[in-house]
Amino acid sequence: MNRTPVKEQGRGKERRRSTAKKLKPGTATGNVFGSTNSSQPQFHPCLLLDMCHYFKQPLCPCLSSEQESSEDGDKEGEGEDEEVEEEEEEVEKEVRPETLTPEELEKLKEAVDDKKKLIQALRGKPWPMKKKHSTLRESQEFLEKYEGALGKGKGRKLYAYKVMMNKKWMKFKRDFENFTTACIPWEMKIKEIESHFGSSVASYFIFLRWMYGINMILFDNIGTVPRAEETNAMDFAVLWDFGGYAQYSVLFYGYYNSQRAIGWLKFRMPLSYFLVGVGTVAYSYMVVIRKMARNANETGGGDENSFNFSWKTFTSWDYLIGNPETADNKFASITTSFKEAILEEQESRKDDNIHLTRFLRVLANFLVLCCLAGSGYLIYFVVRRSQKFALEGFENHTWWERNEVNMVMSLLGMFCPMLFDVISALENYHPRVALQWQLGRIFALFLGNLYTFIIALMDEINLKRKEEDVVQFNMTMWEASLHNNTADNSTAPPLFTHPADVPRGPCWETMVGQEFVRLIISDTMTTYITLLIGDFLRAVLVRFLNYCWCWDLEAGFPSYSEFDVSGNVLGLIFNQGMIWMGAFYAPCLPALNVLRLHVSMYLQCWAVMCCNVPQERVFKASGSNNFYMAMLLVILFLSTLPAIYTIVTIPPSFDCGPFSGKARMFDVIQETLESDFPAWISKVFSYAANPGLVLPFMLLMVLAIYYLQSTSKSYKEANVELKKKLQMVN
Amino acid sequence: MSSFPPLCFHGCCASPPLFRMVSPAIALAFLPLLLTLLIRYRFYFVLFYRAVLLRVWRDCRTGLSREERCFQYVLTNATPGDPESILDGFDSWCTKKEFISHIGPKKGKILDRLLSEHSPLTVLELGAHCGYSTVRIARALPLGARLFSVEMDQKNAAIAEKVIRLAGFDEVELIVCPSDEVIPRLRADFDLEKLDFVFMDHWKKCYLPDLQMLEGSGLLGKGSMILADNVLFPGAPNFLRYIRRCGLYEWRVHRATLEYSKGIRDGMAELVYQGTK
Repeated sequence: MNRTPVKEQGRGKERRRSTAKKLKPGTATGNVFGSTNSSQPQFHPCLLLDMCHYFKQPLCPCLSSEQESSEDGDKEGEGEDEEVEEEEEEVEKEVRPETLTPEELEKLKEAVDDKKKLIQALRGKPWPMKKKHSTLRESQEFLEKYEGALGKGKGRKLYAYKVMMNKKWMKFKRDFENFTTACIPWEMKIKEIESHFGSSVASYFIFLRWMYGINMILFDNIGTVPRAEETNAMDFAVLWDFGGYAQYSVLFYGYYNSQRAIGWLKFRMPLSYFLVGVGTVAYSYMVVIRKMARNANETGGGDENSFNFSWKTFTSWDYLIGNPETADNKFASITTSFKEAILEEQESRKDDNIHLTRFLRVLANFLVLCCLAGSGYLIYFVVRRSQKFALEGFENHTWWERNEVNMVMSLLGMFCPMLFDVISALENYHPRVALQWQLGRIFALFLGNLYTFIIALMDEINLKRKEEDVVQFNMTMWEASLHNNTADNSTAPPLFTHPADVPRGPCWETMVGQEFVRLIISDTMTTYITLLIGDFLRAVLVRFLNYCWCWDLEAGFPSYSEFDVSGNVLGLIFNQGMIWMGAFYAPCLPALNVLRLHVSMYLQCWAVMCCNVPQERVFKASGSNNFYMAMLLVILFLSTLPAIYTIVTIPPSFDCGPFSGKARMFDVIQETLESDFPAWISKVFSYAANPGLVLPFMLLMVLAIYYLQSTSKSYKEANVELKKKLQMVN
Repeated sequence: MSSFPPLCFHGCCASPPLFRMVSPAIALAFLPLLLTLLIRYRFYFVLFYRAVLLRVWRDCRTGLSREERCFQYVLTNATPGDPESILDGFDSWCTKKEFISHIGPKKGKILDRLLSEHSPLTVLELGAHCGYSTVRIARALPLGARLFSVEMDQKNAAIAEKVIRLAGFDEVELIVCPSDEVIPRLRADFDLEKLDFVFMDHWKKCYLPDLQMLEGSGLLGKGSMILADNVLFPGAPNFLRYIRRCGLYEWRVHRATLEYSKGIRDGMAELVYQGTK
């Protein structure tokens, strides 16, 4: 298992190459003998001497650098002469090949090939390091000198040029790879956390970083929509209610009006809004499924089982580390990986009473179901009560009763996961499996919360729509009265009413968007405050109260907190679900989320290193990534459902948004098809929508899915067979 | 971890009295927390019941102190002259009836192993309490070794004396004095040059001062071993911090569970004096 920080590896490789390069003949050998302008005969005996030396022994003293001067003891005179002549050879390189006979040319080619093979096989040779270095250097010098000279005639220069360009290209590729790895944000932070806390905690931060990337792309997509309009009242004052100017700002749905084509670009605002919404959802699905498919490839077992500990003991250290902090991290990561391996070994050896274990697991699941049912019923009861209170009017009840729903949901969300954690001690699972069960259970709990939220939202939408009907009725009355007035005084100039006096209809979409933004912000605030109080304050208290307390606070009751992987992962996933749900109604949500994730990354990295201790049982998170992705996919599906439902069933507000005035939001597509595209396209679409065509198409897709699934299964089986064969052969 | 918070937090118009009409739903929502605390800390609750509540109740009922009750039980159930049966008597009383915090069978095995490996000739024990650990150490000592036991409390010391006599050990010297007064006088009064083994099981906050006094008195030589019990529960954090930092000891903590309790983590610190450099 190689966990070297990639940066260090890259630097190390460069170091080796650069030292080799420095000793290129003619450039680094000190020019002791002055200039080399003397004319020399065309045929240099040194060339043959070089070749003879090379054919006889691998280590040629005549081209050795200053550092190996100890070998040149008695050959110094020779060496100096040769050095001089070397430099002259460099100058008059082009002359040489024509003076060679074909056999010598052949021999030279063979020598060059030999050198290349030697360089490639050098790593595997059982030589001491010094010998390897010197052989490498001298082979490279040989190649530099003679390879370019091998090309015949005019092509020679080109050949030499090509060889040089190839080398430069390789170097550039290597540098570029190092650069791109260095550009990955927060890579060093995550490696440091991984080395101290294990891969399960690091997997959360990698997941967070991936979400950040997704949200950046979503934000870019959505950010292109509002650019065509001029700003109206861009007051970004974050009022808690998001009322006032912000309500009409570009952040929310209600800002965009239904004008079909805006500006000189004929920007189709409603259509683009709709398509951007659909596009973001489609992109999100694609990205999640692609990541899942990629992760599925990586889970291949088999070769991790033999001589695990021997490999770790003898091959873990990285000799290219030059930085003390990196060395500390590497030390910690090796220790952690040993702990993980020991745990895996222990878990694989456990063989106790299977009936007792099964019974306990069934019992634990039963208890958890009871708890979930209880909390579900409590939430339902509380929601019904608050609906009753709303009908009676909120003023008659105390503060507690008014905010009952919120309090109960927050409390349940805080306390039930702890109860599930304690119950899962009965089950005696591998910690990775226990984490997945815990995630699943908390997920089920939060579905209850989601259900309440959506019910409450639906109630408010219905309220707003009733209000809308009232306003519409009032407006018709008002317009009628205006007409009456003008009809009476037909000679008077037409009345101008100030635009602000025109009564605006309520905008349920903006209200929904506001709710989502409020939700995200208060959720974020709650997370940060819980982090600060639950982790940081606790750590401060434990550290400093320990001097004057009767029992050991660090080892005993409060102690430092561990990083709650399941809670944090679920928080991230549910937040993303909320963003997806609300992005259609409040286009500013992805931007908000990008900001939130950015701050979260730094805050949580700091909090983990400062206030948390690693878990007792450190486990490898190899299978967890796909599990997180699966949950994300489920949440994505669940969060697109309400948006689709509202688009398809609820009519948009008559007075605000890009879809105002239409019966349903997706009518915009039909309108575009009818008016903007030529007639034959709409004919094509009408044929395509024919059920006679759609059903066979669906059948074809089902067959394709079945075929792909069976081929992938057979490939996996073939893979496993091949691995087994490899192991047997070895 | 946050759940989904308020749809809209309605502001309060007046400040109502806090606990009037708190709905039962909110109170019910605290039930999972209570259950969690009960289940997670069940061993601590059991320990509290046995060590405090039961003791107070029995004290009121019988009028004897806990140690006297224990000694009566051991006297009736163990055979004199057989340290093994005396220790078993102690163990069965502490498991079935009440709780006394001496070293216990599991940690006692670690003590026995260390003694048999080390074979000290001069042993100092701080905090004999009922004499359980004194008997345990004396049982594992080689011939010709001397054991000095220090106990502060008079009544406990009387009971410990009786227990030691019951076990049949003669070479044990029981000193009834607080430890911080005894240690400076050890060299003079008892003719000691060096202590090979020190066992600490008295008040946890005295571990560090006594250790420093031992260092100062020059009774520790290179290779002297010190074993300190209960360093994790109730815990002696200053002591642990000191030994980590001072660099005079090779130390390790033997992890085990608290005596007569299954779920409470505890540890014994084993220190080997290296001598000043």
